[in-house]
Amino acid sequence: MQTISIAASERSPEVDFNFAEGVLKLKGESYPEDVASFYGPILGALDKWLPTLEASAVVRLDIELVYFNSSSAKALMNLLLLLEKAGAAGKTVVVNWYFNSDDDTMQEFGEDFSEDLDHVQFNLCAVEGV
Amino acid sequence: MGILAEEYLSFKKVLQQKGIIFSFSGYVSEGILFALGDALKQKMALEETDLNTTRKVFSVFVEQVQNIIRYSADRVSGDIGKPVELSSGMIAVGQENGKFFVVCANMVKQADMERLKERLEHIKSLDREGIKAFYKEKLREDPEIESKGASIGLIEIARRASDPIEFDFMTVADGHAFFCLKAFI
Repeated sequence: MQTISIAASERSPEVDFNFAEGVLKLKGESYPEDVASFYGPILGALDKWLPTLEASAVVRLDIELVYFNSSSAKALMNLLLLLEKAGAAGKTVVVNWYFNSDDDTMQEFGEDFSEDLDHVQFNLCAVEGV
Repeated sequence: MGILAEEYLSFKKVLQQKGIIFSFSGYVSEGILFALGDALKQKMALEETDLNTTRKVFSVFVEQVQNIIRYSADRVSGDIGKPVELSSGMIAVGQENGKFFVVCANMVKQADMERLKERLEHIKSLDREGIKAFYKEKLREDPEIESKGASIGLIEIARRASDPIEFDFMTVADGHAFFCLKAFI
């Protein structure tokens, strides 16, 4: 599947989903005007791609978000649930959740999202303040 | 001093007495949300506000304004070469006793008031852990069940707030109520 590459805007994150490498990235801020039209195609592509992977495949998602609104949070959860499903089907899934070490909110969100994901290796990665 | 200046100065003083740093009243769009949010972040950065506080104020601000955009009963729409939908409401950000607050107000339909009141009362009755658990529950809920993500936005506001949220309704004419929500950060 072809790489999805979307540049960051003032209110939507950079998206770099390199399906060939199995490396996916979301970076920046997320409170797009229309969450469904922003995340819909990305989730759709992921949902199509994941079942095509071989059992030995490794998928990595790097999340480097500094802010997201509640509608984006739901979209992120749906994305993680797709990965959880792939993990349950035997694929190796790693999620790296990057947050500023002084950012309580993003750390807590990372903890929230990681709970109940049993088939994903979820790493909370504190980054020293910028 | 003319009448015009007197009138608006007294209006400004009322806002100042309430600790309001900036306010907006009228038709809101996503563009206004972005512009006001940007000014808010810049103002807080200039005052060297603690970063965690700035993030929380901004987050409450976004959820509050998006609630107006999505749910205000006072709205106009039409086509001016492109489809346009504007929702009316009031937004105020201020400081009181050393804490920031964000207040939003808009008209709601009398018929929707009870359900909204129940949701808010439930959120207000929860302690920190309860709010966190409720947020997680809503995060996993099928989006079909939830109307445009209303509850989760309200929970997000309560979660970022340092004190219990305050809200009020006042019934006005023609089947509408005026709804206010205030959160301290």
